[in-house]
This record gives sequence, C-alpha cells and structure tokens, in this order.
Amino acid sequence: MPYGLLLDGVGVAYGSTEVLHDINLRVAKGELLVVLGPSGAGKSTLLRVVAGLEPATRGRVLITGRDVTGLRPGRRNVSMVFQSFALFPHLSVAENIGFGLLVRDVPRAAAAERARLAAEAVGCAHLLDRRPGQLSGGERQRVALARALVRQPDVFLLDEPLSNLDLELRVEMRAELRALHGRVGAATVHVTHDQTEALVLGDRIAVLRDGVIEQVGPPDEIWSRPATTFVARFVGSPAMNLLPADGLLRPLGEPSDAPRGADRLFGFRPEAVQLGWGEGEEGVVERVDVVGDDAYAYLRVAGQPVVARVRSGNRPAVGDKSLVAVWWSDVHLFDAASGRRVDPP
Amino acid sequence: MTRKGGGPEGLGGGTNYEAPRRHRWVADRPRLSERRWLLLMLAPFLVGVVVLVLVPFAVTMVLAFADYDLVRAPRWIGPANFVALVRDPAFRAALGNSLLFAAIAVPGRVLIAFGLALLLHRRARVAGTARTAAALPTAVPEVAYGLLFLWLFNPLYGPINQILTTGGTRGLTIFGRTPPQWLTDPQDAQAAIVIMSLFTIGEMFVILLAARRLLPREAYELAAIEDATTWDVLRRVTLPLMAPVLALLLIRDTVQSFQYSFVPTLVVTEGGPPPYATTHLSLFIYRNAFEYLRYGYAAAATLVMLALTVAAVLVQWRLIRRYRSLRPEG
Repeated sequence: MPYGLLLDGVGVAYGSTEVLHDINLRVAKGELLVVLGPSGAGKSTLLRVVAGLEPATRGRVLITGRDVTGLRPGRRNVSMVFQSFALFPHLSVAENIGFGLLVRDVPRAAAAERARLAAEAVGCAHLLDRRPGQLSGGERQRVALARALVRQPDVFLLDEPLSNLDLELRVEMRAELRALHGRVGAATVHVTHDQTEALVLGDRIAVLRDGVIEQVGPPDEIWSRPATTFVARFVGSPAMNLLPADGLLRPLGEPSDAPRGADRLFGFRPEAVQLGWGEGEEGVVERVDVVGDDAYAYLRVAGQPVVARVRSGNRPAVGDKSLVAVWWSDVHLFDAASGRRVDPP
Repeated sequence: MTRKGGGPEGLGGGTNYEAPRRHRWVADRPRLSERRWLLLMLAPFLVGVVVLVLVPFAVTMVLAFADYDLVRAPRWIGPANFVALVRDPAFRAALGNSLLFAAIAVPGRVLIAFGLALLLHRRARVAGTARTAAALPTAVPEVAYGLLFLWLFNPLYGPINQILTTGGTRGLTIFGRTPPQWLTDPQDAQAAIVIMSLFTIGEMFVILLAARRLLPREAYELAAIEDATTWDVLRRVTLPLMAPVLALLLIRDTVQSFQYSFVPTLVVTEGGPPPYATTHLSLFIYRNAFEYLRYGYAAAATLVMLALTVAAVLVQWRLIRRYRSLRPEG
C-alpha cells in the first residue's frame, strides 16, 4: 500500500524528559488519521516533528518514500493549519492564501489564480480582498484551510483546527473538513482532544497518552474494542465504567469459566448498564445528570461507582435503590496491572 | 460596591471582610462626584504640567516677540527676532545641522536597535549578556558619557584613533591616510556626534525586543513550512508586523533628536569646530539664552524648534495611519 507518511520509531526528548516514545505510524495517501489524546500527551509535538518544526531525537520520518528526517520544514512539502490559524493581519485573504506561493517565487498572477481556486474549494472566494481582522472565526478557519491547500502538499497537518470555533460552527466545519479531505487526497494528520471529532472525522484514530500510542485503529474498533483502560475511558462520555472483576457485580450471561480474579477489570459503557432489570446487584443513586432525552445516573454498587445512561423519562431519583445489571456481551475485560485488553478465552 | 466607576468606595477593593470600617469612613464625608474625584487624582500631574510646562511655554511664546536680557525689562519688538534668526548664519547652520543629524542619526539608531532586537530576542546563552550590553550605554549619565567619548575621540591618545592608526606610520592609518580628526575637522566632528548617538539606543532596543517577542510563533513556523528565506521572513513577516512600533519609535526619536544631541555637542565638540560645525538648535538656544543673555532671541529659536517638532510628528503620523489596520489583533 503506498503510504503518504511513515513514522518509524520516532522519539522526541527534551533533555531527560521524553515527550514522544517510539512512535510508529503509517498514514496512507488519501487517509485521514486523527491523533487523539488529552492535553500534554504529545499530539502537537507529533505534528511538529512531521512538519520539521521540532527535531526527532530518534527514528525516521518518511513522506511518500523520501526520508525527510533531516530536511528543514520548507523541503518536506507538508502544509499545516494552526490552532490559532496564524493568518497575517497585514495581508489580504488572497495574499495570505498565496503566501507560500509568493515566497516560492511563483509569479504574482499565477499565485493569485491558484489562491482563488483554493479559496473556492473551501468556500471563501468572496473574502479574497478582506483582511483577517474583518473575518469571523469560521471565515478565518476557511482561509487557513485554503492556504494549506493551495500548494498540493503531500501531507496535510491540522493542529486542533476546530477548537477555536463555537460548537455549531465546529459541527459544520467538521463535515466540510471530511468532504474536503475526500477531494484533496493527501495523507492527513488531524490532531484533536475532542473524541467526537475523532470518531466522526477519522479513517483511523491513534490514541496518544504521555507520548505513547495506546491504540491505532478505525473509529469503530477504538469504540468497540479499546485496547487499554485509558482508551476505554478517554473515548466515550461519560467514561466507561471499570470495576474489579472480583466484585459483587456479576454480568448476566457470564460463562462459568469467566475470570473472577482481582487481576482483571470489567469495563462497560454507561449505555450498557441496565437499571431495574429484575436481576443484578443493588445500587444507590447518588447523582442524576439530565441531558435532554438522556439522563446519566451515578450509582454506588457495593462501594464502586457505576454510571448508567437511562431515558430521562424514567430516570431514578437521588437516593433511589435500583438493581444494576450488565450483559456479559457488553463487558470488556482488562488486565488490572497493565490496563491492557484481555480477550476472553 | 454597587456604584459603577471609580467612586471612593470603589477604591476600597472587593474585600468584603474589611469593608465596613472603610465604608463608614468614606460615607461620613460628602460624596465627591466622579469628575471631581478624577480631577483630584490628576491634580499632582496637572500642577506639574501647568507650572513646569505650560507656564514656561506661554512665557516663551511672549518672549519670542520681545528683547530681554534679564537686566532690563522685556521690550516688545514684534517679529524682529524671527527676522534676525533668518539672517543669522549661526542659526541657519544650527538648523541645517539639526536636520542633517536627525536625517542620519534617527534611522541609524532605529536600524541598530531593530537589528539588535532581532538578533538577541531568542533565548541563548550569550544573548542575555549581549542584551545587557546593548542597553547599558543608555544608563550612563549623559555628561559622563560625553566625557568618555571626549577621551575616546582624542586624536592623539584616544583609543579610536589608536586603533585606526595601527600598522600605519607617522600617525597615519595603514592606508597612509590621515585618521579622522574627530574634534577639529567639521565633517569628522559631525560624524562623531552621530556615532555617539548610535550607542544610546537601550530604551528603543528594549521596546523592540518586547515587540518582537510578542509576535506569534506560528507566523514564523508557517513561514518555515512555506520555505520562506530569511529575507522573505524579514520583509513579509517581521517588518510589517512590527511596522507600527517602528514608526512610533521613528517619530519619537526624531522629536528627541533635537534634544539629545545637546550634551554631546556641548561637552565633546563645544559646537565646533568653528564656526558652527556641530552647533545644533538646542545648543544655539542654550548659548543665546544663558551665555549671551538674549532670552527673546532664544525663545524665538525655541519656537522654530517646536514648529519643526510638530511638523515631524504630523508627517510621520500620516505615515503611521496607513498601518492602523495592520495591528495584529489580540
């Protein structure tokens, strides 16, 4: 499979502080990889290493077959959309989009024409004569995208590009980004801390934690087969319930040879929890959050916290006692010590 | 704390636990209106401005049309002082010198401060020391600085000419030319005054350093990704983004250049070599007022200098206005 971007054992350290640890990633041409992780996980550093803004302490960065590890940013044919958009306030939108062409000595007329085409592709052609100061957040976002697209880069890097937008706009731009990516065909790395964004946008998701990739896979797999407890809890809101396997709560339909040891953890999502099924362990409702049609009941079951999603129409009240049950088929099994997923035998 | 604005209670701060005592203290007195309160706060400054600036200014305005020597009472002579100024070769030389000095020294100073700021804004081991060194000459008292250069510029044992004549014979440079006669040759003396001014750029340097550090890192990273050359980055990123600050410093330094050449021209070159090679407006005014006791005449020259200052501000203000829209937004 032709790849657009390959990270081969990339590590980054500042002195003795390791920021990225042995990153191996392969992004195909035309693929959109989302790097998901909490702040401080090293997501931005990963992007900056690909762009060449940060040197890799170890490993190699390859772009469409070229080893670019030692090349300066301008020689890698990548383009980047920054979180702050980084538009030049003294340049018009057209000049901003054409900036990369002008400094590469593309003739002015040709640069203007290509800038116009790129602007049309992202729907900001009507803004070409304005200055960034006169644009709204969403419009600036489009201009930043157009500027990244104008050069036909091999790798397209997006550093939390939607985090500066309000929710409505974010949802809209998310869809447009997805559509745009389909047309561009470059290997794209999109960094975000927003799990919804990752699930919606990504062809694949790489979950990063403390400079280590916890799991790489399609959104479905990240959701349905989280490789570690970290991934399990980071993706999904509220986070997945994790209970010691030797606790009182026994999943329904649990096979007789299921592990019951203290070295195992049960994980199940709030939507898998059944309240008042007639079976299960008794829990006490401590808090209820109502979110429109849904409600989240925070219970305590045999001393352990459990979150359950219920229809807000028949939500329990605080202090209610309720039987808490979960089906074995909804349960993920993890090793308590390493946090790694353990597949039932 | 319900009143908006800076009323007396507002000054007590938002600490509730301490408020009651303070409140009563204030409430017992008649409330000042906000306007009066502001006036009260401004009073020390206003008194200073009126006594030290406005009144002397008014006196100068009047004296410019009078003949006054501290001994006899001022005598109204109309615009005669200005007519005399126009005919006075000393004044014409001083005016020319001041303008020439501003035209050379101001761009030079801004350029050097800008260059140093760009060189030294990064965190690096020697950068801190270099920054201090760049700012240091400004901290030296003006007269001491002048005396120092008097020694540096000495044609015989001054270090500058010692260096310039290294390798040469009979007091000539290695190329067989006479070294600059800083204190006796008219043009060399003018150059000396300019050179002296090029090192006292500490404040400008600090301002430009801060301005450069405020520029967003992303702008430079973007330029790097687009493979912009150093020259392109300077021309298309740094210069336009810093243009408002640079323009402001240019205006300010032009205005100040009429004044900061005073001590060097007084202490180092004494306005010479004769007749008036380094007599600037400030020195001309000083001499006429305090040495020749021609206060009216000096006042008239002061007004000319003021007019020049205003003109410089107006011209450059028009230039700055073009950059108004370029200010990076927060």
